[in-house]
Amino acid sequence: MGVLGWELPPFFAGGLGIHTLNLFSILGKIIDITLYIPKFTDKDIHYNFKVKMVNYDPVGSPYERNKEFYQKVMDYNEILINEFDKDHDIIHMHDWITVPAGIKLKEKYRKKLVFTVHSTEYDRSGWFYPQERILKIEKEGMMAADRIIAVSHYTKKIISEKFSINPAKVTVIHNGVKSSLFSSFNKNYDLKNKVLYFGRVTPQKGSKFFIEAAYKVNKYIPSAEFIVAGEGDQLNEIKNFSKSLGLENTVNFYGFVSESESVRLYLDSDVFILPAVSEPFGMTVIESLSVGTPAIISKTTGVGEALNNVLKADFWDTDKIANYIIAVLKYRKLRETLGNFGKLEASRFSWENTALKTLEVYNSL
Amino acid sequence: MKLIVMFLEAHQPRRLSNFRYQDIGIRENYFWDEKNKEIIKRISQNSYIPTLSLLKDYSVPITLSFSGILLEQLWKYEPTVPDLLKEYFKASGGEMAIESYYHSLSSIWNPERFLNEVRKDMDIKKEIYDKDFRTFRNTEMIYSDKIDEIVNQLNVKNVLTEGTDSIISKYNPNFIYKTPFGHNIFLRNYRLSDDISFRFSNREWNEYPLFSEKYLNWLSNSPGDVINLFMDFETFGEHQRKETGIFEFLEAFIERAKDYNLKFATVNEAAESITPRGQISIKEYISWADIPRDMSAWLGNELQKDLFEILKSLEKCIPEEIYNYLLTSDHFYYVSLGTTPDITVHSYFNPYGSAYDAYINFRNILEDLRLRYCNGN
Repeated sequence: MGVLGWELPPFFAGGLGIHTLNLFSILGKIIDITLYIPKFTDKDIHYNFKVKMVNYDPVGSPYERNKEFYQKVMDYNEILINEFDKDHDIIHMHDWITVPAGIKLKEKYRKKLVFTVHSTEYDRSGWFYPQERILKIEKEGMMAADRIIAVSHYTKKIISEKFSINPAKVTVIHNGVKSSLFSSFNKNYDLKNKVLYFGRVTPQKGSKFFIEAAYKVNKYIPSAEFIVAGEGDQLNEIKNFSKSLGLENTVNFYGFVSESESVRLYLDSDVFILPAVSEPFGMTVIESLSVGTPAIISKTTGVGEALNNVLKADFWDTDKIANYIIAVLKYRKLRETLGNFGKLEASRFSWENTALKTLEVYNSL
Repeated sequence: MKLIVMFLEAHQPRRLSNFRYQDIGIRENYFWDEKNKEIIKRISQNSYIPTLSLLKDYSVPITLSFSGILLEQLWKYEPTVPDLLKEYFKASGGEMAIESYYHSLSSIWNPERFLNEVRKDMDIKKEIYDKDFRTFRNTEMIYSDKIDEIVNQLNVKNVLTEGTDSIISKYNPNFIYKTPFGHNIFLRNYRLSDDISFRFSNREWNEYPLFSEKYLNWLSNSPGDVINLFMDFETFGEHQRKETGIFEFLEAFIERAKDYNLKFATVNEAAESITPRGQISIKEYISWADIPRDMSAWLGNELQKDLFEILKSLEKCIPEEIYNYLLTSDHFYYVSLGTTPDITVHSYFNPYGSAYDAYINFRNILEDLRLRYCNGN
């Protein structure tokens, strides 16, 4: 099995990196896995699978939306083709950043091709001027793939409706959660008066709607603190927007937050908000619930399709989101019930499940 | 000759409106009357009108119950139904059961309030149909000896409740029994009732499709004096749409019963012609809802209990004309988080999207009332 990757913790841990590490750590015990990845360190780090570092400096994240990044991706894909070991039976590519190499390798060696779609250009752009050339690469990857894995039914729907791909080719496999990290705490439901946003600050994640909701809640509960944890393209714009609404003392920006700090943040907040415009999965929702912290999420957040014990609203409906936030802050029984039942529901998500279902996809080829 | 005792319950709550926290102190319409009207009109067309017409045409004697708050809404939105009811009673000698007027949870909390509700229900039914009805069925078949004791203060002769698994393991539901206070008690035969109300159109069911011959055979082979078929009135035409063939089934069922030596009777007629088989005492509350058949459909989780406690605490200050409608069991039912099979039943009936939304609405309304009428206490 040859896996075409982009990032891997500890170096740059985006959602894609977390997925790659957790999934292949389990699959590596069962089948022979080689992960191809841009060379990010000279140190020898041990993984449960083979890692082949391609001599190339990535500089940047797949979430960045600039020209330079696009060229770097193309360069990386060229090198990948040469470095690839032709003895692999299956090629597994992840998102558009590994698609050009995946397609060429399939043609060259006549291998089976699996494509996991963690997000599409529509999601990353927040449906606002998606880049045509990236959409084209994604579509080509979907056409060339023998099987497609989508991280949610929400994403499967985008794949079939926006890219015109036969849905029979697409298998939905939800992400897992590192349960030990989050679920070992006992949440206490005394009011903390804190509302949490944790994620990249971008149009896709709907951070602007979080600020709007904060403004609307502030009229009723002036003492509630709204926390924005994370960085991103839109951070300055959001800071200015918050200031223009007079929320200097209400909204606080925490900047980058590590994984271990995030656990503390979830615990110390009454409720977690993800008003994403388009979120294929939303791992943070499961993390928050695992800790026992209730979540309010947009209807366009993929993981919501598998959750009953969260509050859901349209991302733009900040009146409704504000109503939910106030209710969670005012009504203790609501906090407790959403938290306890949510935690139970989140415990169903595990990387072991994700790995087993992925294995089924490999075996079907 | 064995008797088929059919009892159909018709009820619709006055649903609460979508009430956001931001509406507190501003909005005053707590009830979602637009939605209530729409539902009453739809169900009248799908179920009440065609079913009552059919029952009237065959003059078949059965026992019905229309909750007081359903009748209020029918008078307002679909008065043809109460007219049809009158015609049916005249044609068939059918019976109307008595219940808590507001289809409320008052019976397990406040005997005085509960008695007032039942009296109100008796009075209004006597006024309309000019008859004393003496069969009592509490909200959603909620029952225990305690309830029997309370209704003993009224002129009640017969009571209906669920034949739960633990009861029917000792008592065949096909007989009539006596309560500790000497009322005749009828136990629902839930298997034969649910064959129609839940399973009739279920293609996964190994008995699908259900024809009247097969069903009447089951009834005739089920040993005892009575077959107690208690179900939602809306089974006919609403839960089971006319496309499923439910009306053709009902017609054939009524028409052919005599060929199987079965006869339709109201609860009261059955009680008058059959001797009870001993006494049944029921200590804990039972009901016909969900798998556990207890109070958990309404007061099973912390959110439901929270609402009930707050509502109880505000009894003295909220005006009665609002308060009565808040005690209706449905508002609590919508907040059930249920067990997996039940949650699909609950969400089928839930107009708010989720149990949490139902809680937030109701809780916001209580908050508004508390601030408005109870000086915030």
